[in-house]
This record gives sequence, C-alpha cells and structure tokens, in this order.
Amino acid sequence: MALVIRKSSLDIFSVGKWMLRRDCRLLSTLPEKADVLENTEGEQEKPIRPKPKFNNPVLEYRHVYPEFLPDPNPKWRNSLREKMERADMLKRRSQIDIPEFYVGSILAVTISDPHAQSKTNKFVGICIERKGCGLRAEFILRNVIDHQGVEVRYELYDPMIQSIQVLRLEKRLDDKLYYLRDALPEYSTFPLDMDPEILPEGTPVPVNPVQVKLKPRPWLERWERQELKGVSNIEEYLKEKDRVRRELRKTPWEKYDLMKQYRKTIPVEDQSEIWSEVYNQLHQMRVSRKKLSRKRSFTINKPQLG
Amino acid sequence: MLKSLTSRLCAAAASRALHTTAPLQEVRLLTRLRVVDNSELGRRAMAEGKPPKVICVYNKKRVGLIGDRVMVAIKGQKKKGILVGLKQNQKVKVPKFDSNNIVLIDDNGTPLGTRIHVPIPTILRTILKERTHAKGADYTKLLGIATRFV
Amino acid sequence: MSKSSLKLLCTALSKMKVAYVTTRSCYYQPKFRPPYWYSPKERVMSEDMLTQENRDFLEEVRQDKLNLQTAVESPLAKVETEEVAQWTPTTRRAGLIARKIGNYPLWSKDGKKFQTTLLQVVDNHVIKYIPPEEFTPMKTTKLNWREKRRLGCLLVGSETIDPSIVTKEYCGLFDSVGMLPKRHLRRFMISPHAKMPTGTPLFATHFRVGDYVDVRAKTMDRGFQGVMKRWGFKGMPASHGVTKTHRRPGNIGAGGEKARVWPGTKMPGHMGNSWRTLRGVKILRINTKHNILWMLGVGIPGETGAMCYLFDTVLPLRKLKTPPPFPTQPFVDDIPLEYYDESIHMFDTPTITFEES
Repeated sequence: MALVIRKSSLDIFSVGKWMLRRDCRLLSTLPEKADVLENTEGEQEKPIRPKPKFNNPVLEYRHVYPEFLPDPNPKWRNSLREKMERADMLKRRSQIDIPEFYVGSILAVTISDPHAQSKTNKFVGICIERKGCGLRAEFILRNVIDHQGVEVRYELYDPMIQSIQVLRLEKRLDDKLYYLRDALPEYSTFPLDMDPEILPEGTPVPVNPVQVKLKPRPWLERWERQELKGVSNIEEYLKEKDRVRRELRKTPWEKYDLMKQYRKTIPVEDQSEIWSEVYNQLHQMRVSRKKLSRKRSFTINKPQLG
Repeated sequence: MLKSLTSRLCAAAASRALHTTAPLQEVRLLTRLRVVDNSELGRRAMAEGKPPKVICVYNKKRVGLIGDRVMVAIKGQKKKGILVGLKQNQKVKVPKFDSNNIVLIDDNGTPLGTRIHVPIPTILRTILKERTHAKGADYTKLLGIATRFV
Repeated sequence: MSKSSLKLLCTALSKMKVAYVTTRSCYYQPKFRPPYWYSPKERVMSEDMLTQENRDFLEEVRQDKLNLQTAVESPLAKVETEEVAQWTPTTRRAGLIARKIGNYPLWSKDGKKFQTTLLQVVDNHVIKYIPPEEFTPMKTTKLNWREKRRLGCLLVGSETIDPSIVTKEYCGLFDSVGMLPKRHLRRFMISPHAKMPTGTPLFATHFRVGDYVDVRAKTMDRGFQGVMKRWGFKGMPASHGVTKTHRRPGNIGAGGEKARVWPGTKMPGHMGNSWRTLRGVKILRINTKHNILWMLGVGIPGETGAMCYLFDTVLPLRKLKTPPPFPTQPFVDDIPLEYYDESIHMFDTPTITFEES
C-alpha cells in the first residue's frame, strides 16, 4: 500500500522533494495530500506547529513528539510492546509536563540528585541532540559555565526529572549541533538564570539562522564532510587535501535511494494508528497546560523559573 | 611573537589526538590534563603551556574515571591529583566536560590551591566520601574549595 | 587337508567381502529420538477445489469450535481433589510458553535504570498429562533414570491455529483430548501431584512478581562463522607481513605424541540456533490483561518474536521460598491490572525526590 502511494506521488512530483525534508528519521511516507501541503510552504518556514488539524494529526505530532514513533527496524517491531511502551509514556507524561522542544531550543532541567546538598540540581543549556524512541528517548544539553564547556545527557522519561522548562523555543539549521563543541564558546554560553521567553500563541516555531564560527583545527570530527548549514567559516581552515577528500567522500546518489528512506521511516498507515491512539490524551494534556500557563501569565507578569 | 607561535604549536600538538584512545578520550598514561585550581604550581604550568602528564592512574584498569587519583608529572615534579571532570562520554545525568580537569592534592588529600575555578560534578561528593577512610587521606577537603557544582 | 581348508576359507572370505561393503564399521545410535507424542506438523498445502459455500461452511465450523474452546471454563474450578495437594520445596510445577516481544527500561524507586525484556504468555493451555509410569522417554545411558525421578510429563500448547493447516497426525494428538491444535507444543517434567486436567488455561499469574525463573530458548542463528566471532579468538595482525591469515585460528595442535587434532578444539562452524537456558531471571512486573512478564536483563536468548519456555528456577539460593499458586493460578475476574515489584517505580506515581538529611 505504501509503495503504491509512493510510486504515484513520484510520478507527479519530482524526486528532489524527497531530499527537501531534512528530518530523515521522522520523515514518513505521507500521502500526496500531505506532500502538497508541505511543498507549498518554504523549506525553512515549514509550520511544524500549525493550528490543530483534527483530521490529520500525523502531520502535527510527528515533529512535536518524535519519541512516540517506534524504531523502524523491522527486527525490533512488535505492536503489543509498542502499545505498552506508549501507555507507560503517557502515564509518565501525566505526572510531569514534558514540553515541546527541538534541537537548538534552550531548556532548564531540574532533577532530584542524591549527591547534591540540596538534593535537587538544575542545569540550563542548549539542546544539541535528541534521539531514541519510546522510553529510551534522551537529549543532550550543552552550556559553558565559568569558561568550561559542560554537557549533560538526560533521559526524557527518567522519573528523577522534576521539571523540564523551555526557556527559548527555536530551531537551528542542523539536526545535530555537535559542532558547538568546536565552536567559539560564546555560541554555547547561556546564563543560568535566564528568563523564559514566551512565544505568542499560534506562531510557528522560529528557526534561528545563526551561523557559528569554529575554532581552528584540530577538531573533534571532520565537519567539512557533513554539509553543515550552521557553520560559517569552515572553508578558511581547509587545505586542498581536505577539499579533494570531501569531494571523494560525497554520496550524492543516496537521496535517490528510496529503499533506504523507507527503511528509516515508519509508514503512514502505522503512524496514523499510533497517533489516533495517543492523540486524545496528548491533546488534553496540551490544552490543560495552556490553560495553566494562561492563568499564570495573568497572575504574575514575569513567570518565575521553576 | 615566535614564542607565542611555538607555544601554540606545542599546545596544538599536545591536544592533537595521536594516541589510539582518542575516540574514547580516556585518561591513561601520558594524557595531558588541565589543572583547574589556583595553586601556584598548576597555574604556572598551565600559563607556560606545559600541562601536566599522567604518569600513573591509581586503579585496577589504569584508565582514569571521575574521582580517581592520578600521579602527574608537572614542571619536572611528581604530584598527585584527583580527576574532577572528564572529556569521555559519561553516564546519564553525569556532566561531561570539554577538557580533562584535575585538582592537585598532597599525600593527605589536602588541595594545593584554595579555589577551583570551574564547576565540578555533584557525583564527586559521593565518590570522594566513599574513598575517604578514617585513617587514610581525607579527600573531601576538595569539595570545600569548589565554587560551583553541576 | 590343510590346503583345501585354507582354500575354502579364502573363498568364503572373498565372498564375504563382496557381499558386505559398508562404509561404517559400527552402528551409531541416534542421540536424539523424538518423543512418542511427536508427529510432523507442517502439511503440504494443496488446492482443494472447494466451492465458496463449502469454504464458508468450513469457516463457520472453525469459528464454532474456536468459540467453544474459548468458552470452556478452567477444569480446575470444578475439580476439588486438586486442592488437597500442597506445594513443597521439592515440587516441580508446570511452566509456561512465552514469546519475547522486546525490551524497554524500567526505573527503580531509588532512580536506577533497569533494562527489561518483555515476554508475552500467549494463549497457553494444558494439553495432556502423562503419568511417570506411562511416560517412556528416549533411551538414556543411565539405567535407573526412571526409578530415581518419578516425574510426569505435562504437555502445554500455545496459540490455537486453524486445524486445516497442520497434518492429520498432529491434529489427532489434540483431537484425542478434545482441543484445537496449537502452534507450539512443549513438555514440562512435573511432580505427579502438580498435574492439571486437560484444557486448563495458564496465565502470566502462574508466576509472581519477584520470583526467579529459568528461561529456555533458542539462540539467534548466526550461520557458519569463523573463530573470531564464534569463539572470540584474536585473529592475526593486519599488517607486518601477514598474508591471508588475518581472521584465521592459527595452530590447532602440537606434534609428537599428540599429533592429531584433539576433540573439542575450537574451530569454525555453525553458530547459534542452539538451546540455551538463562537461569535465575527476576520478574519485575506483570500485566494480567495482556499476560506480559517484564524480566530483568536483556540476556534472554533469541530474537524478538522468538518463543521461550519459563519454569521455576533450580538455582538453590533463588528457589521459591513461599508457596506459589499451585498447581496454577485459576482465572479470576477481579485481579489488579498490573503487579509491580516493590523496588520498581510506577510510571503513574509522582517524581522521585530525596529528603535533605
């Protein structure tokens, strides 16, 4: 079924649009209707959080809650296991508010820490990676404190996490921001007592087009080979040798490899099943959270940090 | 001018991963560390661009983990120190740092400096308390001079 | 006289040589002999040329049978004599057939993360009990086996299937006791007083949370593998003049007196697809609606979707200390949906916090 849809859409649109979508992991084999919808908007200004569409929640939620989609490897799929896992995730979400955030957003995470003197520990930083599905979902925060780069990895459904607060909701140009480790420290420095910035309701998540400057070599990875958009000065550190090798290592044919993309994604039939199962609860949680936040903004002018 | 250039080159050579443990960023024999306390010796060593080298890691595996005691060669002297931050990938909720940090101590566990400039992980509190025995060295003095925990 | 007899012998010998040409000098008794209740299961499917009405009728009959099967209540409810039998530490209970459906983490109440494996107990029913007097297993070298271990054999099946897709013999095995055929059939050696009547359903509540069980399953099939993967040999260097021997075993024996390959030498060969028992696995959580067991650890053999067999552990320090449901837990309507081990944090309870000391 999915293949048929794929073929027909392939005839109508050019193959190039398959690569337009950056997010390979979350990409789904959407029907034609959805494709048109996505194609009309520009690539960067894609509304990831449009007004709630009750007829097709897949479009909205696969970016907001990526961990609800299972691992696409068919060897590990099992519908009952996935169902139990989703039920557990919803149970945890009923206890703690896990907000919508993306790679590039700035978060404040409070955990209960048996080692600390006050038994709680708060860390603020930019999310440089988000990965894993189900209860295994995790993210990495990075900050520079006292001129020392610090990174902490958290699990999203860890019962030790007391609160996750989004201080600035935005996206960056890349899927992973590992290059911040080799960038100048000011690009990953955030004050620990940052105030949360509240977006007006209904606006799409802004994309921060900042391009960082890298420190001179040596680097931790070969950034020049990764086709990064968020780095400005990568060319000035390259030698002729590096440019030649970058050309040799390019794999321009991979964007035409439909099978590879199919293996990396969850078919739209499976997705609609998953979202129809969890949509109601997630939507209710979201609405109640909005009500709460509205109340808070009426009572207090400046929301306090948790 | 020339001096600064050579020192920068030296630093680049030191941090360039020539050893096989680079992907793991392990602390083992001859790893260069960063002294993060304000002891006279450590400060001068870091300023001159001659960071201390590990010459022994005091555990069974000889690969330093957080809170392990190491012996370092620093400016021609042998000194002991405690690892207070690692570049290696850490467990969940344990911070990972951009450099391998060390605080110099003497044989009784008393730090040579009076302040630590950088944040240190809170898990160190538990680890150092476990390592401290009634008659041996008291490593918990290190926690007293820390300025910030993450 | 002697000459003639020699000649006779020669002719006789030559005849014998011609008559019996064998490749093997002696007969090897097969090590594995299938038990007598075993019969081939897979059937060659053929086109039956049935009309649509007949097909519908067959489907109807099948549905009726299935409904009858599901409607049948546990025979344990009626039989009162079984209640007399008491569990003792030396008793061996029946086991379960389960399917491995994946793993995911659980957290303990002090914040530690545990990886768990989920096992689903799929539609288990007791098929037949064979008492120790009638049970004649395959031949073993130990002669006193039957006299020493007075254990009966309990056949347990899982997953009811369509009777038309299996062979007549396999179907007859179930027909003789009035059950529909099952996809998986397994025997458990049990104490005679732990026997159960045919048709008793087995649920995940057969075990309790916090108990330790042994899990027997087939390991992942890896095919023909070299020594580096199969036995963890080091191989040989990648360079320094090594040619064509980077992943080879090297020497396999010495010369002199021992100038042969010793039995049991580790060599390349088939890896995986062999039975393995993981002993002493703790049960952390039980779901009674879907009959799912959460087992501690990820060491249960086999890939996701493989079948495994659970029974009470034989490890002396982890054996059952309090009497378990005996002979099994009957179906009860008003049991809680989930059981948790006391060390496990429930997801719908508040966040873990620590008191300031």
